[in-house]
Amino acid sequence: MKSTLITLGLVCSSLPALPALAQNTAPMSTTTAPAGLYQALGETVGITRLMDDFVNRLMADPRIGSHFKDAKPQPLKDSLTRQICQLSGGPCQYTGPDMKTVHGEMDITKANFHALVEVLQAAMDAQGIAFSQQNRLLALLAPMQRDVITVR
Amino acid sequence: MKLVLSHPAMAALALACSAGLAHADTGKLLLTGGVSTIAGSAGGGITPWAVIGSNATEGEVGASAYLTHAATQDYALTGYGVAVGIHDRVELSLARQDFDASPSIALNGIAPFGVTPGQHIKMDVVGVKVRVAGDAVLDSDNWMPQIAVGLEHKRVHPGSLQPVLDFLGTKTQGTDVYVSATKLLLDKGLLLNATLRSTNANQNGLLGFGAAAPGRKSRSLQPEFSVAYLLRKDLAVGAEYRFKPNNLQALGAAAGLGAALREDDWKDIFIAWAPSKNLSLTLAWVDLGRIVPGITHGRKQTGYYLSAQVAF
Repeated sequence: MKSTLITLGLVCSSLPALPALAQNTAPMSTTTAPAGLYQALGETVGITRLMDDFVNRLMADPRIGSHFKDAKPQPLKDSLTRQICQLSGGPCQYTGPDMKTVHGEMDITKANFHALVEVLQAAMDAQGIAFSQQNRLLALLAPMQRDVITVR
Repeated sequence: MKLVLSHPAMAALALACSAGLAHADTGKLLLTGGVSTIAGSAGGGITPWAVIGSNATEGEVGASAYLTHAATQDYALTGYGVAVGIHDRVELSLARQDFDASPSIALNGIAPFGVTPGQHIKMDVVGVKVRVAGDAVLDSDNWMPQIAVGLEHKRVHPGSLQPVLDFLGTKTQGTDVYVSATKLLLDKGLLLNATLRSTNANQNGLLGFGAAAPGRKSRSLQPEFSVAYLLRKDLAVGAEYRFKPNNLQALGAAAGLGAALREDDWKDIFIAWAPSKNLSLTLAWVDLGRIVPGITHGRKQTGYYLSAQVAF
């Protein structure tokens, strides 16, 4: 359960949870999903397939797989699917704990975070998602580092 | 430091060992540590970026080494060096440049300088860079760039060209100070960098620092820009523009040499490929403008630039 929450935190933070880096830092855009991203990811069917492969890869990853050793794969995949669906502009709803709370006790480094990004990139490559679309999704996920990384 | 610099390979080894080159697992994302500039710091080819070199991210120590060769119509430059990245916060670098200045033999026609045939100019560069704010890659929801400040201390060894540098009134040591801001617009795969450098170097220091009057002795602020577009996560194309001072031209003109000592801005277009996490290859076309046009038929120096970097 703990690991499930970590993953949820890593990948699924709700956008409003973003702490302002500084008051003088202008936001790049509003928090609305980028147009067409949900479609580019293959809608619910595609995202389900992507998250299935992604979680399998995460658990097998030599760098960060141990973080997920107690996680139940299917509920994790389902949650992630709902999250990415919502984040990319699809008709999904996720309500869950915020990331800061679930990661407070965890040892997650920036290298861990980067490793997760690489695993997601590999999973998106395997689904044939265009690099430019991958970057649009990653741009939504990357700022979560502020809440996810606990070892600074 | 002088002793260390006289043996760059040993210096590299010592620096790498002292910083823990053997660190097992370092975790930057591909290409986000930049490549090695000609001065050894991490960035593009001719201008430093705010990124910290090596594959090391927070809590890690990493190292990189590079070998670069560039050649234009009349000149060639070989460079090599090492950099150590500490906790994605501090970067230390050492570089040596070997510049084939063979055309300088023509200077003997101006005055009996005693320049020997096939003269090379060598230069050592010690660099320090500190990241002061931001994350160029992950702060993708705002415009805050990664910001770093750095310095490059350079010592040039002109060989038989020393009398020429003396004639020009240039010093053989100088220190550039710079601030860089780097931002990856992640959703667009577009990296932007702006660097502002305070320098009195002539041709990056290869022709010394400052100049006798009426040349310019003092420092000036020179902006440098890079833009790179990610075609794939392991492949980037881009361009750079580096403004340069022109400290020597007025002195040359006063000596009746016209624009013989003119210095121009540098620019390049490049492609960088990272076939693995530990290797990157950069190929560029460079336009270095005029470099002592009085001995090179006044022509612009354009050519290729090839660089290989290993990083851990």
